[in-house]
Amino acid sequence: MKFKPIDLTLAAMFAALMAIGANITAWIPALAFGSVPLTLQNFFCVLAGLLLGRRLGAVSMIVYLLVGLIGAPIFAGFTGGFATIMKPSFGFILSYIAGAYAAGLIVDRSKKPTFPTFLVAAFVSLAVSYVIGTTLLYVALTNWAAVPGITYLNTWKGMLVFIPKDLVLTFVTAVIAPRIYYAISKNRTSHTQRYA
Amino acid sequence: MLDNIIIGQYLPGQSVLHRMDPRAKLSAIFLYIIVVFLANNWLTYAIVGVFALFTIALSRVSLRYIYKGMKPVILIVLFTFILQVLLTREGAVLYDLRWFKLYDGGLRQGIFISLRLLYLVMVTSLLTLTTKPLDITDGLESLLGPLKKIKLPVHEFALMMSIALRFIPTLLQETEKIMKAQMARGAEFTTGPILQRLKAFVPLLIPLFISSFKRAEDLALAMEARGYRGGEGRTRLRVLKWTGKDTIALFVLVVLAVGLYVLRTH
Repeated sequence: MKFKPIDLTLAAMFAALMAIGANITAWIPALAFGSVPLTLQNFFCVLAGLLLGRRLGAVSMIVYLLVGLIGAPIFAGFTGGFATIMKPSFGFILSYIAGAYAAGLIVDRSKKPTFPTFLVAAFVSLAVSYVIGTTLLYVALTNWAAVPGITYLNTWKGMLVFIPKDLVLTFVTAVIAPRIYYAISKNRTSHTQRYA
Repeated sequence: MLDNIIIGQYLPGQSVLHRMDPRAKLSAIFLYIIVVFLANNWLTYAIVGVFALFTIALSRVSLRYIYKGMKPVILIVLFTFILQVLLTREGAVLYDLRWFKLYDGGLRQGIFISLRLLYLVMVTSLLTLTTKPLDITDGLESLLGPLKKIKLPVHEFALMMSIALRFIPTLLQETEKIMKAQMARGAEFTTGPILQRLKAFVPLLIPLFISSFKRAEDLALAMEARGYRGGEGRTRLRVLKWTGKDTIALFVLVVLAVGLYVLRTH
């Protein structure tokens, strides 16, 4: 893998944006959906894939993960630190890497992305996140926490609560994403034009 | 809150653990995780427990912070414990309540697994409590350096982590500024139906993204202007120093691992 300076700074900047996305509800307490506070992590993850492309999008999510692991409180709820690996929900943080890659892949494939492209990209990315996150949740629950009587199906049933919230949010992502995508393309200076 | 992010969970101090080389700490943590998973009977769990408490004492970090680090997993520990006790049916019946029998095996299993999680979290959170994120990044870069041979971009990742750490507080401030600016123009983030509120995010997000791209471009340009050419032959401002105590710490962990391997139930 070869990185130009602009690759390095953009991926780093997206990792920082992801940190904000995870905690934006800290400023806007009213943005809670029932009792579940929203995080915009999925939103920023999809945008990382869309704006940086599949490779750099995934890299930026890896950087986000690493920076959180070494102790910066940038995961949802201002948490962080190496011990996060022990949380059963850690798989969802890992899944953003594949989520960004999937979103990037779909947009990279189309010459001129339009609303349907963004819609597909956002929902595929969400599905990828869910599959990886839930599978790892199941692995964590059965192996590390060794909870008896948990089946794969049960784990998915537990995830059902979050699905409506994520579907709404993903649709909103697909609506907002094109506006940001084109706003960025217009504002790029020439030497970095090849991304958007 | 903003200062929090740069130093992470780091608590300044002068203890032996604070002064250890981050590379030694990272390798020690890696060995420690293996050690915890080796434990499988009362004796080995007790040994790991004593070691964990000893390390905490050595770090001179107040127990309040250790507890704070453990808070997110306490719930899952309790949950695991209760499920283990309720659902494992092995060994002798200790207590019979007609609708529920407490088994010896279930209780033991519950205690072991809860202890395992607590041991892991207690000591691994010490790493981030006694080491600055930037030092950990440097340590990781140096430890994983050999992987550059197989084309793994170790230096690039370490640099991206440092840049991200540097810019998280900046972008947080920026978000706050844009939000206030848009509220002054009449944007409503806190009231109205949920879709309305989500729509209000657009005028917040677009300037945020544009300014982050601009910052990234400025920084890349500055790097190029100063002749940045990757990690090859770069010197650094902060140089890591490996000392006697680092060797001793690793030695202790290797002894612990061998000892536990001998003492565990096979």
